[in-house]
Amino acid sequence: MKEETVPQLSKKLCNILLTDLENARRPVLEAIKCSLDNAKYSPSVGYLTPGSKRVRTELNVSSVQKMSRAIFLLEIFLRNLETGAVNTKREIYYISKGETKHNPSLKPLDFADQDESDSVIDFICEMLECYREELNCFANDRGGQTYSNQLEVTETMPDGEKAVVDLGSLGTSPFQPKNRPQSLQLRAKKKIDFCLVVESEGTANTFVANGFCKRNNCILMGAQGVPSNAVRGWCKLIQDQLKIPIYFFGDLDAYTMQNIYRTLKAGSAASLIRNSDFSAPDVKFLGVLPSDIKKYDLNDYPVKENDLQEARALKKASDALKNDPFFKDKKNKGVTKILHWLLENKRRCEQQALFTVDPRDPTMPEKIILEKIKAGDYV
Amino acid sequence: MAKQKITSSSTAEYFSKNLQQVGFSSPTKAVLTTLKEAIDNSLDACEEAGILPELVVEIEKAGAGTLKNTDLVRIYVEDNGPGLEVEEVSAVFGEYLASSKFGRGRCSRGQQGIGISAATTWAQLTSAKGVRVVTKTAKMRQAVTGVVEVDIKHNKGVIKDKKTIQWTKPHGVSVEFYIDGRIQLNGEGGLMTYLLGTTLVNPHLTLKYTVPEQKAQKVERVSDICPSIPDATTPHPHTMKLGEFIAHSHLFGRIAVSAWLKKGFSRITDHVIGEIIKNGVSKKVLEQSVDKTADADFKALFSAIHKTELMAPSTRSVMTIGEAAFSKSVRRLGEVDFFSVLTRKPTICDYKPVAVEVAIARLKSGTAKIAGETDDSPATILRFANRVPLQFDKAACAMVRAIETVNWRTYGLAQPKDSLPQGPYVIAVSLVSPFIKFKNASKETVDASDELVEEMRRTLIQAGQRLSRHIRKESKEADLEEKLRHIEQFCPILVDCLCRITKAPDSRKKKATEGIIKLLGRDVNAAKRDLKEANTAVKDAVSKGKVHVVNTDDVLKETEEEIESGSDDVEGDDAKVKASGKGKKAAAKPAKKKAEKKQATTKEKRVTA
Repeated sequence: MKEETVPQLSKKLCNILLTDLENARRPVLEAIKCSLDNAKYSPSVGYLTPGSKRVRTELNVSSVQKMSRAIFLLEIFLRNLETGAVNTKREIYYISKGETKHNPSLKPLDFADQDESDSVIDFICEMLECYREELNCFANDRGGQTYSNQLEVTETMPDGEKAVVDLGSLGTSPFQPKNRPQSLQLRAKKKIDFCLVVESEGTANTFVANGFCKRNNCILMGAQGVPSNAVRGWCKLIQDQLKIPIYFFGDLDAYTMQNIYRTLKAGSAASLIRNSDFSAPDVKFLGVLPSDIKKYDLNDYPVKENDLQEARALKKASDALKNDPFFKDKKNKGVTKILHWLLENKRRCEQQALFTVDPRDPTMPEKIILEKIKAGDYV
Repeated sequence: MAKQKITSSSTAEYFSKNLQQVGFSSPTKAVLTTLKEAIDNSLDACEEAGILPELVVEIEKAGAGTLKNTDLVRIYVEDNGPGLEVEEVSAVFGEYLASSKFGRGRCSRGQQGIGISAATTWAQLTSAKGVRVVTKTAKMRQAVTGVVEVDIKHNKGVIKDKKTIQWTKPHGVSVEFYIDGRIQLNGEGGLMTYLLGTTLVNPHLTLKYTVPEQKAQKVERVSDICPSIPDATTPHPHTMKLGEFIAHSHLFGRIAVSAWLKKGFSRITDHVIGEIIKNGVSKKVLEQSVDKTADADFKALFSAIHKTELMAPSTRSVMTIGEAAFSKSVRRLGEVDFFSVLTRKPTICDYKPVAVEVAIARLKSGTAKIAGETDDSPATILRFANRVPLQFDKAACAMVRAIETVNWRTYGLAQPKDSLPQGPYVIAVSLVSPFIKFKNASKETVDASDELVEEMRRTLIQAGQRLSRHIRKESKEADLEEKLRHIEQFCPILVDCLCRITKAPDSRKKKATEGIIKLLGRDVNAAKRDLKEANTAVKDAVSKGKVHVVNTDDVLKETEEEIESGSDDVEGDDAKVKASGKGKKAAAKPAKKKAEKKQATTKEKRVTA
């Protein structure tokens, strides 16, 4: 969907609602069901797509509050789109509070906390089948700090002006991709061999400081945990525009496999409607692989099953093997195998364990990574 | 090893050293236990004599106690019972295990004759002074008073300072203890909780009481029927052990074994005797005299009886408070919104006859006389065994176990998993049985056998079902209220927003407003129908006496009137709102609020079966 169609679509939807009300007909809003039970995966597409299930919201005395709130926030978004103003979800929450404060007749709409306004924003996006960025509602640009001596990025500004950023000229400063990476155009000044996405931001910084980007024609990126929209869209852009291999390097544990790598590669169930722009299906899992533990004698340790967070990750991973179409697909059997291994062995190994191989050689992790890439030792 | 001399001690010596076993484990418990024992004795005496009890209770601080962190507490209990003969006084108050009720198999409060003697001992140990007793029977012209103390060495009561005095009462007994203790008024182990519980399960009791920091109170009786405690039935052979069985035979002298079995036990008939013979007992044994029967024959007979199927023991010895009297009594808990009471038919649990009664009441917030009734605090549990409040160690008690196993959420009460339900509710469980299995001598906890817990659970479920009809009605009222509020609040906003976005003219706005009111009015009408059904269910339950609602008539009449007036279409309501311009409140005012207002202004009136 193109950005400019959102206001038109919104007005059309409101008009339908109004006509239904004029005729005392019960308006029904339909939205795609964004949940795992409505997620489909096809290896040829490469990311999770929505199934046929839809959520119907019919206007009745119970839903009138939700619908009123949705139309109220939609009016704020349309105003923002008209003026070009942007906001975060938190700011929208306070803007709505301001509106209800200054207009007592709107008091019943008041949100008790941000969770309430957030869920209405998500409802609007599902209803209009758009990203919240298309409503000028942006998240904080988290993660994705990128280093490269060969990459040049051209950003088209909202006013149409273009800004060119040569990543090689930034020194040790990284390039921070935006939450709407669609406005960026990439160009390789020299041939780029690969892109490495490192789960830990700190480890990515260490690699750069140790000269990784000087010695390799590459793009190095820190994911900073679960990839944000910015990181996901940025990887997709690198994949589509530069057509270079992308490798993900992170911890060997259920959380990383399921929440971080799966989201980067195939998107998430919560964002079914936008996975096409926010996933990079060509990303490979470089490690840490279970075989690396033996091969490089890496320090691994047992998962603490009494740790609530770890137990939850294992339970989630076990559920994923049964229900997640990504893990159920034969094409991803390598990743599925790792998940099985993790559930069976209940052990984990962190990405920083590569530093144990030769504690006196700071470039040893780089050497192992390059060796693995060269040997095709990834899934 | 040096040979040590074996000595024997009196019962009084044992208890004087182990008073914690009979309820004197802390200064707070000492005050409560003393009061409890005195009241139990008075109530039992009144009921035995068929007198409606009228008790006077005074508790006050009389100085500093001799023990650390205690006060000298005066506990005074006066009754209008038949009075004690002078020669009985020393045994009743000063001798352990001297009781008119021991082992009689009746549902009296006191059983063994330990409690009041233990209270005398505590007074003696802490204030060096026994209990002052005043007694007067109907035959006595003057009352006799004296101080009773326990001769601990010999387990005997001793009266000191005995004299006659003038007493205006025609008959009765008063006791006055000075003990070291601490007065706790509120909370689970509080005196107020005890007094309130006592009045709840004794509807025939008039109680005047004075406690520190409060004005003197008088709680009038709500029932003029003095309960008569049913006589004990003969023992059931399956409830006995071999030794008891043989000892029981000694009470009958020279009598044939078969005659002894039929006379001395319940549920033994000629047919049962035939069955016993089939189970291997020879006719000769059954025909011989019990005093000539060898122990081996008794053993064989005992085994054969246990193999024989017998009818369950009789439940005639069990008494109940009764739903009618219990219902009246519940009103004394505080400002009760509504309540249900249930008396189950007496039944047999663990070979013992038992009767369980339950009262569940919802109190108006903040009006309860007992502490801890907010929306998210656990419901107040009142436990009673043979009409005596149990106030300590509730966690292990069969009654609490039973309450926790019921799924109260089904009946509309909030309840965390496997816990007590929450909210301003009082759940009173009363267990009556001639043989209650307590976990300790101080009778604070009833042993949680599976059969007993299940019987209590069933009673609670039935009472919960009755109550739920009213709770459901309330939820329907709240539902209707919310729906009306939603229409009033959100419809104009939704239409306004849609019109602004689409830049629609006023004509469309007017039409859409009418449309949405009509549309959502259908939902409200459905809610009104639901409420009407719920109201009918409550009315039905009230008329059958299954649930009791304060001001039921007024509430139901009014809510029905409202439903009738607006049942066809909500358009009418809203038209009124629009026309008056200020009538929003009137349109949306829920039936419940009106009912509450009415409740507050009208004198309480209860509708019962």
